[in-house]
Amino acid sequence: MIKVEHLTKQFSLNKEQKKEAGTTDKFAFAVNNISFDCKPGEIFSLLGPNGAGKTTTLRMLSTVITPTSGSIIMGGINAVTHPNEARRKIGFLTGSTGLYTRLNAHELIDYFASLYGVSNQMLIERKKYLFDLLDMNEFAHKRIGKLSTGMKQKVSICRTMIHDPEIVIFDEPTSGLDVITAESIIQLIRDCKSQNKTVIFSSHIMGEVDLLCDSLAIIHKGQMKYQGSMQKFREKMSEKSITAEFIKTVQA
Amino acid sequence: MIFNIFKKELKETLRDKRTLIMMLVIPILIFPLILNVVVGVSSSFEESAENKTLKIGILGETDDYLALKLNEIPNALGPKTLIPYHGDSLKMKADLKEEKLDIVFIYDSKFSEKLDKMEPTKLICSFDKTKIGYDQRAQKYVQYIETEERLKRYQALNIDEQQITPFEIAFENSASNQKMIGELLGGFLPYIFIAFGFMGCMYPAIDLFTGEKERGTIETLLTTPVSRWKFLIGKMLVIILSGLLASCFALLGLFFSINLMDIIPDPEIMNVVNQILSVGFVLKLFLLLLPLTVFFAGIMIPIAVYTKTFKEAQSIIAPLNILVLLPAMAGLFPGIELNVQTAMIPILNIVLTTKGLIGGTIDYSLLILSFSVMVVLAGIAVAVSFKQFGKETNILS
Repeated sequence: MIKVEHLTKQFSLNKEQKKEAGTTDKFAFAVNNISFDCKPGEIFSLLGPNGAGKTTTLRMLSTVITPTSGSIIMGGINAVTHPNEARRKIGFLTGSTGLYTRLNAHELIDYFASLYGVSNQMLIERKKYLFDLLDMNEFAHKRIGKLSTGMKQKVSICRTMIHDPEIVIFDEPTSGLDVITAESIIQLIRDCKSQNKTVIFSSHIMGEVDLLCDSLAIIHKGQMKYQGSMQKFREKMSEKSITAEFIKTVQA
Repeated sequence: MIFNIFKKELKETLRDKRTLIMMLVIPILIFPLILNVVVGVSSSFEESAENKTLKIGILGETDDYLALKLNEIPNALGPKTLIPYHGDSLKMKADLKEEKLDIVFIYDSKFSEKLDKMEPTKLICSFDKTKIGYDQRAQKYVQYIETEERLKRYQALNIDEQQITPFEIAFENSASNQKMIGELLGGFLPYIFIAFGFMGCMYPAIDLFTGEKERGTIETLLTTPVSRWKFLIGKMLVIILSGLLASCFALLGLFFSINLMDIIPDPEIMNVVNQILSVGFVLKLFLLLLPLTVFFAGIMIPIAVYTKTFKEAQSIIAPLNILVLLPAMAGLFPGIELNVQTAMIPILNIVLTTKGLIGGTIDYSLLILSFSVMVVLAGIAVAVSFKQFGKETNILS
C-alpha cells in the first residue's frame, strides 16, 4: 500500500535555469501538492507528458530524493522519516537503469541481495526461481557488458525482484526497448499484480496504460489533473481515443 | 556492509584496464624503464668518450717540446692525434669552433726555453666543455706533462719532494652515507610516491563516482536500504587502496631496478640504500602516505560526485596533479627543512618528513605534527566528500 499526501518538491533555480524558464523566481515546483493511494494487487499508473513531474514523484517514492513537504507512507512505514526501512519493501526499475558491466549477472544479483540484506537461503531460492523464470541461466556467467539489451533487461528485472519487494516502482520501464523486451516488462508488471504486490508505474504510452492499469493519475507541470479508476476514466471519456482524452485532460 | 561494497567496487576496479594500467603497470615499469635508459645511455656515452681518438691542435710544429711530450703520453689515458697549425692560432681556434678539433693547446713560442730556464710559462688548453669526457681527458694530459716537468725540476734543484710538502690536506665528509643519500635523494622518493599515489587514486575516483552517474547505476544503488555514508566509505577505501598500491608498485619497481640493474657500483652505498629501504622504513612511509592518500581521495570525490561525465571529471582532476606536485617539488630544494611552519604545509610536510626519515635526521615531534596535520586535512576532505555525496543535485543528473 502506498499513501501519498500533499507531496511537494521544490528545486532552486540557477541562473541558466531561470533564463531557460524565463522567470526571476528562485525556486520552481517539480511536484506541487499531489495526493494519491495505490492498493496491493492493483496497478497504479502515473501519467503525464515529459517534464510533468512523474520521475521526480517516483524518485521521492523510492526515497532517492527527499520531498520538500508532504508525506509518503509505504507499507505502513513513513518513507520520509524512515527511508532505509521503506527501501527494504521497494523494488525500483527504470527504462534508463544502467548495470555494472564489468560484473556478471550472478555477481550483480549477489551484490544487490547483500545490499537488501537477503539471507543466503533466500538468495539461492530467489535466484533459482528468477533465473528459471527469466531464462537467464545460459548467460548468467557472462559479463553484463557483453549481453544484448534484452538480456540486460532481464538482469535488471531480476535485480529489482531479488528481495521479493511488496511495492514495485517502474519509471517508464519500456522506454527505448524493442517490442519483445518491452513484453517481458509488461509480463513482470502483470505477475506483480497477481502476487498481490503494490505496483506503480509511469508512462506516456497510452496503449500500455490501457492494457495494464486499474487506476491512474494524470499530472502536468507538477500538479494533479486527474485521479481515479481506469474504469471511470473510460466511462467519462468525451474523446474517441484514450490518447486524445489524455491530451485533453492535460491541456484543460 | 561496507566490506561487501568495498569487495564489489574492488572487483570492478580490478577489471578496469585504465585503472590497472595506472595502478600497476606504469608504477612497476617506470623505474626499470627510466633507469635502464638512463644507465644504458650514460654508460654508452662514457664508453664512447673514453675510446674516442681526440684531434688535438698544436699551435706550433709536431717536433715542438709540448707536442713531443703529448706524444709520450700512453694511449691508456685516451687515444689522440696531433695536428700542427704552424703558428696560425686564428685558424686553429676557428677549427675548434667548427668542431674539426677536440682540444687545442696554445703556448708561448719560447715555451721549451722557459721550461729549461725553470721560468714560469703559460699553457692554454681550450675545448668545448659541453662534450662528455673532454674535461677529464684534458686534465689527464696536462697533469701528466706538468708532473713530469715538476719532478724534473726537483731533481735538478736536488730537492726532496717530501721536504717541500708542508702538509697533506684531506677533506673529510662528516655526514654519514645515509645522511648524504637522505639530503640528495630523500625528497625524490616521496615526490614519486605523491605523484603515483595521486594518479593511482584518480581513475578509481572518477570511475566509482562519476562513472556511476554516467552509466545510470547510481539511482538503483540509492534505492537500496544502505546508508549513503557506507557507500562513500566502501568506495573511498577502494580509491585509497588503489593510490597506496600504485605507490607500493612504484617502490617495488625502484627496489628491483636498484638491485638487479647494478646502478650503484659502490657496495657500501648499496648497503646503505638497502638499509634505508628496510621493512621498518617502508611501514613508516606508508603510515605517512595513508592520511595523504585519504586527503587525495577526499579532494577527488567531491569533484567526481559533482561532474557528470568521465571527461569532465578528468579535465578538472588531472590539472590538480600540478597543484599537488608543487609543494612536493619544493621539498626537493636543498635548505628547505622540516620545522613547525613547514610541518603545517600539506604534502610538503610529508616530503620533508620522509627526507628526514631517509637521512636518519627526523625530529619525531615534527613527524607527529606533520602526521596530525594530514590526518586533520584528510578528515576535512572526507567530511566535504560526505556532504557532496549527500546532495541530491550532485548525485542525480
